[in-house]
Amino acid sequence: MWRAIISSLLLAAGLWQLGGATWLMAKAELAQYLIGRAWDDQLQTGEAAKPWPWADTRPVAKLVVNGSDPLMVLDGGSGQALAFGPGLLASSGRPGESRTTVIAAHRDTHFDNLGALKLGDPVALQDSDGRWYDYRVVGTRVVNSEQEQLPIYAEPGLLLVTCYPFHAVNPGGPLRYLVYAEYLGEGQVVQL
Amino acid sequence: MSRAIFSGQRIPRELLVLPTEEYYRRRYRSSNRGRWLLFLVTALAVFVAAMGARAQQLPAVAGQGETVTLNDVKAGDLLFRIGLRGQYVPSVHLASHAKVSVRGLVAEVRLEQEFINRTQQWQEAVYVLPLPEQAAVNGLEIQVGKRRIVGKVRERQEAAKIYRAARAAGKRAALLEQQRPNLFTNKVANIAPGETVRVHIRYLQPVNYDSGAFSLRLPTTLTPRYIPGDIIGAGVAGEGEAPLALNSEGWALPTDQVPDADKITPFMQPAAELDGLGSHRISIDVALDGGLPLANISSPYHDIDSSKTPSGGYAIALRGGSALMDRDFVLRWRPRASAMPRAALFTETKPAVAADANGDSVGQQDTYLQLLLLPPDAVGKVRRLPREVVYVIDTSGSMGGNSIRQAKESLLLALSRLQPGDRFNVIEFNSVTRAFFPRPVVADAQSIQHARTQVENLQASGGTEMAPALRLAFSQQLPGDESLVRQVIFITDGAVGNERALFELIHQSLADARLFTVGIGSAPNSHFMRKAAQFGRGTFVTIGDLSEVQERMQALFAKLENPLVTDLQLRWPQGLVVDAYPKRIPDLYRGEPLQLVAQIEGGQLHGKVELHGRLAGQQFQRELTLQSSSGDSGQGVGSVWARSKIDALRDRQLTTGENTEEGQSLRGQILQLALDHQLASPYTSFVAVEEKVVRPQGQGLSKSPVPNAVARGQILQRQTYPRTAAGIYAQLLSAAGLLGLGLLLRGRSALQRGRDTLRRGGGLRGRLSHRLREWLRRLLPDLRRARHPLETGLVRAR
Repeated sequence: MWRAIISSLLLAAGLWQLGGATWLMAKAELAQYLIGRAWDDQLQTGEAAKPWPWADTRPVAKLVVNGSDPLMVLDGGSGQALAFGPGLLASSGRPGESRTTVIAAHRDTHFDNLGALKLGDPVALQDSDGRWYDYRVVGTRVVNSEQEQLPIYAEPGLLLVTCYPFHAVNPGGPLRYLVYAEYLGEGQVVQL
Repeated sequence: MSRAIFSGQRIPRELLVLPTEEYYRRRYRSSNRGRWLLFLVTALAVFVAAMGARAQQLPAVAGQGETVTLNDVKAGDLLFRIGLRGQYVPSVHLASHAKVSVRGLVAEVRLEQEFINRTQQWQEAVYVLPLPEQAAVNGLEIQVGKRRIVGKVRERQEAAKIYRAARAAGKRAALLEQQRPNLFTNKVANIAPGETVRVHIRYLQPVNYDSGAFSLRLPTTLTPRYIPGDIIGAGVAGEGEAPLALNSEGWALPTDQVPDADKITPFMQPAAELDGLGSHRISIDVALDGGLPLANISSPYHDIDSSKTPSGGYAIALRGGSALMDRDFVLRWRPRASAMPRAALFTETKPAVAADANGDSVGQQDTYLQLLLLPPDAVGKVRRLPREVVYVIDTSGSMGGNSIRQAKESLLLALSRLQPGDRFNVIEFNSVTRAFFPRPVVADAQSIQHARTQVENLQASGGTEMAPALRLAFSQQLPGDESLVRQVIFITDGAVGNERALFELIHQSLADARLFTVGIGSAPNSHFMRKAAQFGRGTFVTIGDLSEVQERMQALFAKLENPLVTDLQLRWPQGLVVDAYPKRIPDLYRGEPLQLVAQIEGGQLHGKVELHGRLAGQQFQRELTLQSSSGDSGQGVGSVWARSKIDALRDRQLTTGENTEEGQSLRGQILQLALDHQLASPYTSFVAVEEKVVRPQGQGLSKSPVPNAVARGQILQRQTYPRTAAGIYAQLLSAAGLLGLGLLLRGRSALQRGRDTLRRGGGLRGRLSHRLREWLRRLLPDLRRARHPLETGLVRAR
């Protein structure tokens, strides 16, 4: 009797957790798809398009890491924004500006293969005017976020940030994995 | 027996209880499930163990990287400092020794700073040196072993050029530049690997005298300044907020409002880390030679030992020899009531500066005097005037930690002093400004309670945008209401980089209000506190500890609530050519003496100086006979005078602007004055260069900033990383765990039930319907089976 109740509760809680995780992953995937569509609209029409009617965030850039599927980068590094896609931190520079651009994302959704990046891998960023900016990975580091600040400099460059260790269970750890990519120059404007 | 073994047919088959086919199926299945469960649990355990091991192992791998010091950084390099547990180890260590000797009303401080190179490379150390806001720096020396090289005052650009040339040539050199009146940068080039270079800095500062107590402040670190404005050159379109940015050396970038931001924002490191490395300790020795018998000597933030010297003075030292450089050192001493001074005069005679512009004072002597005169105290009953007080409280991020608690406590205390008939308002500011009430309200119990509740809930975060808060505070007065005494009480740590712009703002929008500053924290920006109060025609107090709030605020209330001495005028004897500072004597609050420094052309002092003023509606007059003081008690007055004059000229520059014709002529005056009196100033720096070349040609020079310790009770503000884990793994893991556990439990009960079912011998469908029935029976109460009284009751209640 008790055993049955407890096991039911356990199963229910397990399903709930499973559902939560699935929901997070589904949200991350679906949002990327919707934002990607909005981004294309935006590039074509030149007007800011909301990915879904009640969205409180907007895409600011498109990120292609080492030729993989493009990721839509959102404005700001808040928890809500990061659930939908990588976030471009408010204190950092926009692509092409003479200030380091910092993009952060969850290690378990969008930046799940950041650890596979090697020196020299290409990274490309597209801004809302459709212009591409090319970067090349020049360094990766692990830092303790409780003891260091974000290295934002007054020169163009791209910093990708995610949590570390990549598969740790505890989500609140202090370590961060940084990938620094140097700026190679402006690419050509994509003709649509 | 053996026969029985071979004759298997002895027992009739029908008598044997043999497992049925169903039993085998059932058994196979259940064991199969058991195996699955076992597999799941094992997998789970392995997974958890692996995760744990990984989480522990990987940072260790990351930590293996060699310690990266900031000096290796070139433009564009990353600034990662990975030492033990990711901590940054400064390549140059610092130790300080301060020898203070107080004579008369001037303290002479000899500050010795040891820069110890702990690396295998040649180093250039860059250190942001906090000094008292009125310090007149008049000496710099570098010492290597026994050799001493004396520094000289040069025009700022020239000094920097000399230093750069010496650095490039491989000579030992030091450069001391003033960035703010209380903030200097000290650069020492070509420190050999493992070598210690000592830099001796000498400065003079006037001793503070207020309400019967002398005090002296010696800063050891600073509160990181907030840099408002947009970054120059980055092309950031004005977004309003200016986040802290770093250049390649880790210093804040210059902005349009603070063009020298990179020079006043050093690396800050937690004091505990520096202490662990044995760096950043200061020893302080004070020789008090005031000539007055003292009632007590105290230091609010340090433990001190004091003893009487045979010559009648006092010797004070830190207990334990040295202290961490994470808080200001303050020394207070109080003369015995019988020996309380009412007036004091100290003089110094110096040869007049040769080759003056007119060339008329060559060969003459100038006398410098320092004067202290105490106005009469208001006697009898004082009528308290109704006041309109606007409290402004700084809730920026730099106030985090103990500071905000001290600030709140002070504010609550101030609110409790309000009386019926007063009006008040509270303004909170960080990046945004917020007033508790749209306009000042009558100080009744309800509005005070409302304000108190809001004060309790204040949190420290965000930037320090002072200008809008000050503007709002000064614009609070309703037009046509002159019956109230208007006071603005500004509670802050003054951690901003745009001080001068704020002074100008105060100067312009003050009207008939008075601004009082309350400096909060272990290392407040005293320069801001003093000058803001001076431009605001008020006064200032500092609070460095929660236990001090009561006492220091009481001192402030005494000044706020008592009448002040106004219309002060000083009449010098006929025939003396006097240049005295401050030029316009400010109103004095209760307990404050008149303090001024003057230069008198010619050597002879004669006659009496008369002070006229007005207190609580009554005229008064004081006299003091001018005569040269004996001995060396007036030593250093000349430098203090020159420093005060530079201060006054800088204030005038505030109204004229620095790049106008007038501003440039003032610049010329300051430069000449500083060169004549051998002082560091905004336009002059000290530079010392050793003639010998020490660094071999082939060896490179690394530049390494010496960090400043985070002030005690403060939280190091760093640009923070976002949280970059959604916690999916944790969720998946707990889901797996919960499901596994649930299934395990369920599985065992199912096993039992399965056996029951088996006994009864039903098919799969029968078992399922049986399980459903059982489940429903468990879920829904059955009236027939409700034997328990409680259950019966429950059923009836339905």
